[in-house]
Parts: sequence; structure tokens; C-alpha cells
Amino acid sequence: MNKPNNPYSPIETEVLDVITETSNIKTLRLKPREQITFASGQFIELTVPGAGEAPFTPSSNPLVKDIMEVTIMKVGKVTEKIHSLKKGDVVGLRGPLGKGYPIDTFKGREILVVGGGCGLAPLRSLMYELFNRSGDFKKVFYRGGCKTSKDFLYRKEIERWSKRKDLNLRLTVDKKDEDDTDWKENVGVVTTIMDGIDMDFKRGIAVCCGPPIAMKYATMKFLDMGFRDENIYLSMEKNMSCGIGKCGHCRIGTYYACKDGPVFTYDKIKNFHEIWD
Amino acid sequence: MKHQKIQTDLNKRGLHYISRNSLFKLLEALKTDYEVFVPVKKNERRFYKKYIQPSDDIVIGEVRPFEPLKLFFSRAREIVAKDFAPDIPHAQDRPLAIVGVKACDLKGMKVQDHVFLDHDYRDPFYAKNREQNLIISSDCTIAIETCFCLSLGLKPYAEEGFDINLSEVDDGFIAEIGSQKGEMLAKKYSHLFQNAAEHHQEKRELIRKGVVKEVENSIKKNEVPSQDLFKGIIERNFESDIWADEAKTCVECGACNVICPTCHCFLLYDQKDEKKMERLRIWDSCMIKDFARVAGGANPRGKLWMRLRNRFEKKFDFFPKTADIYACTGCGRCIPACPAKIDIRKVLKRLVNNE
Repeated sequence: MNKPNNPYSPIETEVLDVITETSNIKTLRLKPREQITFASGQFIELTVPGAGEAPFTPSSNPLVKDIMEVTIMKVGKVTEKIHSLKKGDVVGLRGPLGKGYPIDTFKGREILVVGGGCGLAPLRSLMYELFNRSGDFKKVFYRGGCKTSKDFLYRKEIERWSKRKDLNLRLTVDKKDEDDTDWKENVGVVTTIMDGIDMDFKRGIAVCCGPPIAMKYATMKFLDMGFRDENIYLSMEKNMSCGIGKCGHCRIGTYYACKDGPVFTYDKIKNFHEIWD
Repeated sequence: MKHQKIQTDLNKRGLHYISRNSLFKLLEALKTDYEVFVPVKKNERRFYKKYIQPSDDIVIGEVRPFEPLKLFFSRAREIVAKDFAPDIPHAQDRPLAIVGVKACDLKGMKVQDHVFLDHDYRDPFYAKNREQNLIISSDCTIAIETCFCLSLGLKPYAEEGFDINLSEVDDGFIAEIGSQKGEMLAKKYSHLFQNAAEHHQEKRELIRKGVVKEVENSIKKNEVPSQDLFKGIIERNFESDIWADEAKTCVECGACNVICPTCHCFLLYDQKDEKKMERLRIWDSCMIKDFARVAGGANPRGKLWMRLRNRFEKKFDFFPKTADIYACTGCGRCIPACPAKIDIRKVLKRLVNNE
């Protein structure tokens, strides 16, 4: 947290660029006045003056210290305002908040990363981090899905990843657009491309980020495959407001998603109610 | 000899005597360093008011005021950030001295302290007010029908969490020292204090026993279970019909949250002015539909009865598991506050009995 004397006050931040990703998703390139160093999976609160504040997980490489990228879907009041931002506008950032992926503990293991929809945004940051330390992991599998190919985030970039030797990558769309002739990958929900993965599931790490329904079914699949509860990492993004475990909005059982998460291992939350809602 | 020994014991325990007149002199003196608040009584209701001068409506004893103590420390509505400045707005506030605080409200502050002070991040607004404050608590000398502090393991008199505690006896008070700050104050104004006599002490015990009896009677009459029976009541009843049944009449007004000394949830709200950035912290209510809803539309507690269950889960499952404390003080404020007549005592009874 960059402002320990007042955790509610954001850091003034310049919008360097706004990149249109899909019809309802944009990426902001942001330059905060004070550097914000984050770990993959940690989140920030983005303030739009006059509109309010909302939580997002950066989608950029944690090694890039002075510029942060945040990929945002237009779903509510704040995000609608965010989508109207232009280069040079001023916003605010608070963070980093919460706990991210404990990547050091992934060393020497095989990792399966599964994402859906806008969940591919935080996972891009994780993938960068895994690429940064490529030699540290035995094998990395990436399984990404979206509704249609038009909704696919970072499609060009991900297609470039498919050439990497340190990555086993497969993509899917729930439904193929009739006019999309160049989609050569799988059609079906993300769990349909999780079969046939060759790894030591008992020791392997599984990571999932996506809409609640995708997380639920991916987790069931992980368990089927033989992953251990404590090796399944889920990004539980609830209504996180204060970001420091005080305002009460994001409680999951005995935790607050904002300070104890948002990344939780499945064993920590599996006995709570309301986790997928 | 015997009398002398008892006297030394009383002093060792930090027991003094202060007359009503001397207490007012003390409050007058405190005004130089503090903003002093005292409970006053109007139409059978007690509430905190800024102390100006001695008056007949000031009630040190009796029973808890209408409003919970939390409102002095995390205000119902306050500016917490402005124009990206790193400093704290309203930093000029004077320290507070609050007189006549009851044991139930001190327990409420224990919960608030856990949230705002001990919980990984300190809240600078709360911390500043709380650390500078002076708490002069006082024994209850009466109980009201909704009191059930004993069920929560509390007494109707403070045993911890105060700087000085006052027990009304005869025309004055036994003043018990509870902290270093209290000790220093008693030294500084030693001319206002006398030694507590044995008969003062006996009177205090008599009054305390009487009030305990009154609370016991209320608990008995309303069949309120003891906290010894609370373990697992939420888990056991998670799928129970009790929630829907109790929530039938709820109108989602949030009065139970606002009036509760332990409820701490808040909303960060930004002013709708694009030219400046101003962030308010406003008390929030977990009974309101959008409380846990996310922008995408998902809502883990879309139904009203789920939110009622959540309110009890937070108090009787979350807090005991994370902070080893039940987040209820038995103050009974939520009972008359509820327009739907949802009675926490009855809900607890039903949960304990798995009705």
C-alpha cells in the first residue's frame, strides 16, 4: 500500500493510452505519480473523479514498474465512465491490495492456467510473470476460452504465445461466429479443452480466473483430474471496496476477499457457502 | 488496624471517591484539553451532549444512552480523501472525553478496535480519535426491559476498557482507575478525589447486585439464551427456515445496523463532481440488497432472508472465529429500533433451540 498514512486516498495517475480490445473491453495504460509495485493477482482500486472507485487486477507485467495496464469490461457505472476516458485524463489508483499468486512456491512444478472471458486479463499478468521466470517451472499449460472469437482478449498476442516452447496452449470459444472463417481452434466451453493434459496432477498447480460459472466448472474439473485442493488457485473477486478488510462488503466465510485474497486456494474456501454466487 | 488495611486495599485497586460537585469541577477542567460529552436525559431517553456546565439533566448512572459509542469514532459520514492529497482531512479535531459510557458500549468498542486498529491495516481516522480519547465509564444503576448484557458474559458495570469508571453511591461516585491515563488524571486533580470509604464500597456492591438481578429477570422473562450455547448456532441452522420466517416482516431499513455498537461496515462514496476528487465514508447496512452485489450483477445474498442470516453470521460466527468475540453486546438497541419487530433475543433463542 503506497499511502500508509491514508489508505483511502488514491495516487494521482495519468492515462497514457486507451486501447480498444473488444466491443466492450478496453485496456488503460496508466502512469501513477508514485510507483506502484504489485505481484500478479494483487488488485488495485481505480478512481474516476466524479464517478467513483472500482477494483481491478492489473493485466501488465509486474516487472514493468512505472506503467501499469488494466483491462476493463464495461459493466457498471464506473466502468462506463472508464470507457469514455482519453489519453491525458487524470484518474486515481490505490494499491496494491490483497494477496496474489505465491509464485515462489510454484518453482519446479507443472502449472495449468485456465481462464475465461475477462478473466484472461489478470492471467496475462500471471503469464508474463511465468515467462519472466521461465526456467523455474517444469511445464506450463494455458487453456483460454471466450464466448466468441470477437470477445477474445489479446488474441494476437496469445497466438504469438502458441509459438513458445515453454508453453502448451489451447484456446476455445463457446460459439463460433458465422462470419468468422479464421477460427481454427476448439469450439465448446473451456472444460472441453482440459482433457488430455499430461502432467503430474498430484503435485501440479492449477490456476483459474473467469466468470463465477467458469470457475465453478473448472474447479470441478481440476478435482476430477486429481489436483489437490491446496494447489488450486482461484481468483475470488467480490465487491471489494475499501481494500483493507474494514468496510465489510467482500466477506467470504471467515475471510475478506480484499485482504485475505482475492487469490485463494480451494481448500481455504470450499466449505463456505455463497462462493460461486 | 483492620480499617486501615481495607483502606490500603481500596487505594491499591485504584478506588477513590469523588463528589458530584467535584466531578463537575473535573469535567470543567477537562474542557481545556478535551471536547467533553456527557449523557443527558430527556423524555425518558438518554443521549450524549457536549458538556457546558452542571445541570440536572446530566445522568451519569442509569442505563446506556440511545446512541452507540461508535459514532464518536467512525462518524456516520465523513470525508476521508480529497484531491489525491496524502494527508488526513479534518486533522484539527480535538480529543474527546466521553463520560457515562456503559459496559455494553465498551464491548462494542472492542469489536470496533479489532476492525479498525488490530486488523492488518490501521484506519488513521479511527486510530487518531480513539488513541486521544478519554473514557470515563459508569455503572448502570437501572436496567431496561431490553437489556441482556449478562447473556453475552458482560456485567452492567465496566470491568475493562475505561480510564476511570464511576459507580454512583450516595451523593457522589466511587472512581476506579482503569489505565495509566486515568491514573495521571487522578494525580493531577488529586484535590478533587478522596479516599473511597468501606461503606461506599458496600453501597456499590449492593447497587451492582440489584442491577444484575434486574437484568437477570429480563433475560428470564424473554428466555434469552446464554452465549455458552452460541457455538455452532449459525452452521447448524444455515439451511433453516428460521431466516425466511424472521425476515418476513423486514423492510430493509438498516436501523439495526446503524444503532448497533458493533456494526462497522461502510461505503466509500465519491462526490459526483468531475473537477475535484472527494471521498466520503458513510455507514452502510448489510441488510440492503446491493451490499455484496458486484458490478457484473452477481449477488451472493440476493434474497432478504440471506442478508438477515448474514447479519447473524457476521456477529455469531465470523467474529468469534476471527477475533474470539461475539459481536453483540446485549445492549438491546436493535429491538425497539426495528419497525418489523425482529427481536434478536428471540432469533437467538430459536437458533439455540433449532426451532
